[in-house]
Amino acid sequence: MSQQKTPAPKAASESQLIARAQRGDEEAFTALFEAHKRRVYSLCLRMTGNTAEAEDLAQEAFLQLFRKISTFRGESAFSTWLHRLAVNVVLMHLRKKGLQQISLDEADNSQDEPVKRDYGDDDRRLIGSVDRIGLQRAIADLPPGYRTVFVLHDVEGYEHNEIAEIMSCSVGNSKSQLHKARMKLRERLRLDRKGEAGREALPAAEPVGEAEEES
Amino acid sequence: MNERRYEKSAACFQFDGELEAYLEGEARPSVVAHARECAFCGALLKDLQQITQMAGEMPLEEPSPTVWANVRSQLESEGVFRPQQGVWSRFLLWRPVLHPVPLGALALLMLLGGAISLPPGGTRTSYLPDAVPSAPVAAVESSTLPVGEEENLASLVEQLENNFHANEATISPDLKATYEKSLVSLNASIRECLDTLKHEPRSALTHEYLLTAYTRKAEVLSSALEFRGR
Repeated sequence: MSQQKTPAPKAASESQLIARAQRGDEEAFTALFEAHKRRVYSLCLRMTGNTAEAEDLAQEAFLQLFRKISTFRGESAFSTWLHRLAVNVVLMHLRKKGLQQISLDEADNSQDEPVKRDYGDDDRRLIGSVDRIGLQRAIADLPPGYRTVFVLHDVEGYEHNEIAEIMSCSVGNSKSQLHKARMKLRERLRLDRKGEAGREALPAAEPVGEAEEES
Repeated sequence: MNERRYEKSAACFQFDGELEAYLEGEARPSVVAHARECAFCGALLKDLQQITQMAGEMPLEEPSPTVWANVRSQLESEGVFRPQQGVWSRFLLWRPVLHPVPLGALALLMLLGGAISLPPGGTRTSYLPDAVPSAPVAAVESSTLPVGEEENLASLVEQLENNFHANEATISPDLKATYEKSLVSLNASIRECLDTLKHEPRSALTHEYLLTAYTRKAEVLSSALEFRGR
């Protein structure tokens, strides 16, 4: 991964915590959870788009982590190990839900519709300042395959070769899915903006109670 | 209201075809050039760049406290947590305590402390008031002491402890209470180690803890004797 979303705890103190957790020290488990909970939960939330599912999956990821912690030998960074574990937990969950997440190389016509690209007056204007909540909502509404690639690449900072390995697809497919995901997001955000503009243009409705009294 | 539509030019189609590669970091001068000329394609490029930038800056979300509560409860039920050692035992894990330099300095300190504190004639005089129970700072039974290095250190500690008891009346009550508290913890650690060694006499880690506990106890007693009468 090329990005670090949170400042990682100092390596020395984290390795001490890991060593203590490997001896079954509850305080060390708590400290490790505190250090990584936001990153793991955010990953789960963005990949599922659902808070309840995200909490269940974050819980499952940490349970698996703590059950396996004695096998951690430090070949990779602890955060990388945990993050990959969390991604696998989410992908397993999505597979169980039958959301065609197994491989992006598999035919998935529902996700391969060409993104509409016609030019109207509106297309010359930028989305403008996209608000964070709008973007989060748009990501949550993406088809699962697009969402996974977009979250892993643009949000979590994975490279295409890593995504290809995780998703069992080709690097080219990962790139292509990412581009389509971005195009779909743009389309969705533009629709949202148009909807908001339309609502703003509507005259304010009179309160029902007052209108009845007046009549 | 009907929106006016515009036709895409050949350059727009070429832009579409190269946009993905350009966003992946490949050099595509035609994309940049066309984005400057075409308002539609320029807007698209800026939008996609903005989406990518915002995605990388999304803040992290906080899970509800129930996540940890559930994880903790599950791990506890699976017996993953194991009871940990007390505060002193954790202190004793502090590696620098075992280094030769502080150990050597401590041994010297102990010898000096012993020489200064021994009453004339070498006999022990107890100043311990009847009301003060001696149990909390009682020496660990000599019969349970291990052999070798630990035995020598235990012997020094015992000597220092005798001096401490002989002179404790000259130590201010507050200071004495502090030292006694430390000694109670250290004695507990020493007993814990000795008990473990009865079952696992070859446990290197326990021997290490024991040595450190004796060292720490000697340090506390030497300090107490140094401060007597102040």
